[in-house]
Amino acid sequence: MKIKKFILPLLSAGALVAAMTAFAPAVFADGYERGERGDSEERGESEGRNGRNGGRIIPPADNAAYKQECSSCHFLYQPGLLPARSWEAVMGATGKHFGEDLALDEATVKELLAYLTANGADKQTNRRSTRIAASIDSSSAPTRITEVPYMVKEHRKIKKETFSRPSIKTFSNCGACHTKGAEGNFEEDFVKIPKN
Amino acid sequence: MKKGIRSFIAASVFAAASASMAVSAAEPNEQVRSLVDSYKKSSGAQSFSAEEGRKFFNSKRTHSVKKEERSCTTCHTTDPRQPGKTIVGKVIEPLAPSVNKERFTDPEKIEKWFKRNCTWVLERECTPREKGDYITYMMSL
Repeated sequence: MKIKKFILPLLSAGALVAAMTAFAPAVFADGYERGERGDSEERGESEGRNGRNGGRIIPPADNAAYKQECSSCHFLYQPGLLPARSWEAVMGATGKHFGEDLALDEATVKELLAYLTANGADKQTNRRSTRIAASIDSSSAPTRITEVPYMVKEHRKIKKETFSRPSIKTFSNCGACHTKGAEGNFEEDFVKIPKN
Repeated sequence: MKKGIRSFIAASVFAAASASMAVSAAEPNEQVRSLVDSYKKSSGAQSFSAEEGRKFFNSKRTHSVKKEERSCTTCHTTDPRQPGKTIVGKVIEPLAPSVNKERFTDPEKIEKWFKRNCTWVLERECTPREKGDYITYMMSL
């Protein structure tokens, strides 16, 4: 009896999967693929979307100078993606920003630094930022978000070749797959991995 | 009826022609004009050349440390009227003012981006003559 109770939902789930697979070509015909990094159950993230503390949304970047200076070249990384000490390291080297001179004036550097450190991952209550902060050794201050242990772990199932697809280019191009990334929403439901 | 069609065609051709005229070449505003004048003064150039600007825009250079080929076109593509893409995949709006009115309107922005990008491509700042030719080229498109 107990077994039956267990098997029935499993069977209907199987039927659902079969039905979904049948429709797959139509659903995925938009140039994207999904589920490359396994489902959320597999990753041990089965709790509710706003399961802990301040939810799972990282507050979006809302500083005008930060938006203007930083998002011309790359994804507008939320301050909550790195701890304050990392932002200090980034803003302490704007003349050599991953090989580029940002040509920022002193006042701008000061404003950006204040904004970023005040809103760093270690100052946030959302679940993702707190996990980011907790994953980094207190003696280190990584400047590459892509090297944060939490980030590496979360993307471990994505192949290197996937990141180098022309429309993605690099691991640092969050918005290429996280369709709501700009809003600080990195939920699996909104991940669409471009095929090319 | 035939006449109607003919005048309709004529009107559309005229509309298309004036539309295409509207998106060719642009005039710099007062501030940008004085910026270009300052380039003239410091370079001693009488005038700037769109053709020189085009050559400069398309020239390639190997970075001394990274050993990779770099050019304005690496990110902006060879057609400034088209959108480009940064090396980390972010879309760049077109450079040509004829298709992007915001371009080359703010001297501070212009100078900042010359400094950033000349350093990236050439490992030095651009000369006033290079900047003048560059803007002249962009304005001519």
